[in-house]
Amino acid sequence: MSQGDSSADSEYVLLVSSDGYEYSILRKAAMVSGTLQRMFEGAGLESQSKRVDLKDINGILLEKVCEYLYYNLKHQNNPGNIPEFDVPPEMALELLVASDFLDV
Amino acid sequence: MMSGGRSRVKMRPPRNRDSSDVNFEDSWSVLSTAMQEMYKKNASRLSYEELYRTAYTLVLKKHAEKLYYSFKSFVAQHLRDIVATELAPLASNTANSLAAEGVTSTQAVPLATADQREAGIRFLKAVKLQWDDHCLCMRMISDILMYMDRVYCKELQLPLIYDAGLALFRDHVIRNKDFQVGEHIYAIILNQIRRQRDGDIVDTSAIKATILMLESLTEDKVDGETVYSRSFEPKFLRSSTEFYTAEAAKLARDCLSGQYLIETEKRLKEEYERVMSYLSVTSEPKITKIVEETMITKNIIIVMHSEQSGLNQMILNDRMDDLQRLYRLSTRVDPDKTDLRNSLMTRVVAQGTEINNDALENLKRPEQRPKGVSAQNAATTAAFKWVEAVLELKEKYDRILNDTMDGDNQIQTSLTKAFSSFINQMNRCSEFLSLFIDDNLKKGLKGKTEDEAEAVLDRAITLFRYIDDKDIFETYYKSHLAKRLLGGRSVSDDVERLMITKLKMEVGFSFTTKLEGMFKDMKVSGDMVDEYKSYVQDKDPDRQTELSVSVLTSTNWPVSLSSVEHNTCVFPSEIERIKRSFDRFYIDRHSGRVLTWNPNMGNADIRATFRKRKHEINVSTYAMVILMLFNDVADGQSLSFEEIKSATSIPDNELTRNLQSLAVVPKTRILIKEPMSKDIRPTDRFSFNAGFESQYIRIKIPTVAYINKTETDSERKETVDKVDELRRYQTDAAIVRIMKARKSLEHNILISEVTTQLSGRFHPDAMMIKKRIDAMLEREYIERSSENRQLYTYLA
Repeated sequence: MSQGDSSADSEYVLLVSSDGYEYSILRKAAMVSGTLQRMFEGAGLESQSKRVDLKDINGILLEKVCEYLYYNLKHQNNPGNIPEFDVPPEMALELLVASDFLDV
Repeated sequence: MMSGGRSRVKMRPPRNRDSSDVNFEDSWSVLSTAMQEMYKKNASRLSYEELYRTAYTLVLKKHAEKLYYSFKSFVAQHLRDIVATELAPLASNTANSLAAEGVTSTQAVPLATADQREAGIRFLKAVKLQWDDHCLCMRMISDILMYMDRVYCKELQLPLIYDAGLALFRDHVIRNKDFQVGEHIYAIILNQIRRQRDGDIVDTSAIKATILMLESLTEDKVDGETVYSRSFEPKFLRSSTEFYTAEAAKLARDCLSGQYLIETEKRLKEEYERVMSYLSVTSEPKITKIVEETMITKNIIIVMHSEQSGLNQMILNDRMDDLQRLYRLSTRVDPDKTDLRNSLMTRVVAQGTEINNDALENLKRPEQRPKGVSAQNAATTAAFKWVEAVLELKEKYDRILNDTMDGDNQIQTSLTKAFSSFINQMNRCSEFLSLFIDDNLKKGLKGKTEDEAEAVLDRAITLFRYIDDKDIFETYYKSHLAKRLLGGRSVSDDVERLMITKLKMEVGFSFTTKLEGMFKDMKVSGDMVDEYKSYVQDKDPDRQTELSVSVLTSTNWPVSLSSVEHNTCVFPSEIERIKRSFDRFYIDRHSGRVLTWNPNMGNADIRATFRKRKHEINVSTYAMVILMLFNDVADGQSLSFEEIKSATSIPDNELTRNLQSLAVVPKTRILIKEPMSKDIRPTDRFSFNAGFESQYIRIKIPTVAYINKTETDSERKETVDKVDELRRYQTDAAIVRIMKARKSLEHNILISEVTTQLSGRFHPDAMMIKKRIDAMLEREYIERSSENRQLYTYLA
């Protein structure tokens, strides 16, 4: 295991919603999202500060997104029988847009 | 999904962002500034999220197209600026002539001075630097514009940002119209390669990096083509071809063949390493082919036929390395090695014909032979020399084949063909070979171990394989064997049998049945004689003469032995009595058989009393008969040739020969001849030489005839005629056999079938087959069919 990996395992990154809610999640979980991945691995500010301001996504939505990221991470290795991910219908459309933005 | 509208949950549509009319220009300026910063290596100050969101928004607002093209033009402009500011100055440092000439042809790539070379490398490095930067930026931009990539580009099948960036680099840097960067690069690289080929050391890392870059730039709309393959590689191949053509011509002119081959191999290796180390791997087969073609294919004939150092010299001087190299290189370009094979064959045939001619010369020039050796013996020696020479040649080529050419099968076949052709050219080959074997079996193998003896026989067998007309060989071998067996001259029975076994393995049963029959006869005779001795003991204990008989089955033994003319001989009475006794004995044992006595092959031991002492003399049967006559002649009396002849009824030539051995040969003058001349005339007189002296008690008086020698011309003709007759019978038999099996055959097919069947024994002549077919027609074994004149049918 290289240095990068072990730090990725234990490292946390910060996702900040438009209304100021901060969610700290495992870096590994964040990597599930293509956009977040690029942000943290790129050369920009975010990778240095390890935080991202998501100005288009509100707190509740962001929370659901984080939940999904963990859910995805947990079941990555076992594509067979996995429990359903619950999506409240009023959030569905917004979640859709967010996931499009985040490439998840 | 929801059922009905009962639930109390409200679906909220996605919130609208900001103001719905985003200003493209503003957003774009944000992005373009960011890109500038990236190029300036200030990316760490940028917020990815902001940029990503900006691009995202633009795409959502349907400004994707504008964004895409703005991006492209931005990058294009930027690249052009780079070229103008960074690269152009460097380019002008290197020789202008390089750039100018490098445009159209790479032929006159002049060898730049050291400064120019340095500048060239610097230029390459500069380009590489820009390229690396560009790639990095592209990646970052791509990340930002990822949303657009995903949505817009995929949908419209436009190249992704990253790829578009590469294409832009290609178009605006490499193919920059104002500064010809690309051409410049090619020229520099080719120059470096040229210098390396001439032996200088060059900095390959810069070149390698540049090549990698060229390889990464794919061409639009052409699958698998890169700038490398489209622009650079053809130039490279062209200049290489020119270089190597010149090189090949120079080397062919200046070097010896061996050197040429070494150089070729060196170049092949060098090019291979070059390609592997810094050019694209895909070029490897192409460049190898070029070198092979220019240096090998075009020049191989010249190299091989060079007077001083070509193929012939290599073979002559056993230059194994050179031969091996030649073989290896030939195989590269031509898996059939046609040229090599043809040259080898020509050489072998030439050398073989030389050997043949030498032998023929030796036969014709009697003054060359050492004193005391008769013409016939000299001829025999020539035969041995021929066999030895051919075997030596064969061994040399075998060595060459195995050591240098890996025992290659095709070459093996060619060599066999060549050997076969010149050996059979020598139409006395069968005779010579048989003599060779004969000599070995009589004397040559004495004292050799079993293995050594077998080795010698094996060599003879190898020669045997090449001979086409094996039945001629059989005839000679039979007659030589007969003389050996009857004269008791074979070194060892086991070795004889070994030879027969080997022959059998080569050609099969029919060949050797007669030979084995001869052996059997000898053995049976031996047993018979023992029986006879005990029989005689009982009957007549105080016999004075002992008889030993070899009974030969006439079909097995060569015809010449049992021809009737030689048989006339009147035996002295004691001998006659014994003869009859044996006749009786034999007929008792085997009734129904007829015995014919052959006095020309026997020998006898006589106890003779001379003035000084008694000697036991071994002479031929005829000689014995002659000497016995003198028992009845008083001392001092003589007999004339005519008298001897009439008394014994021995044929003239035999009589002459025997009298010669008895009266002329200095050491064994049992008889005195008047006059003392070497040749025998009918008027000569002979008397018993009572004063004969010799150290030894037992003396052997050989008759000239028993040494197997090369035939005189007339004898040879006889042999050939006999063989022809045999062949006619065999051809007839083959025709009948084939027709019986096939019932009806076309003329041509019949001829080819007959040829195949007979090929194991001899090579039939088409004319002869046709004649035999006609004979068969006459004898009504086959007939021509009435519808088709070419068709034959079998008549039962």
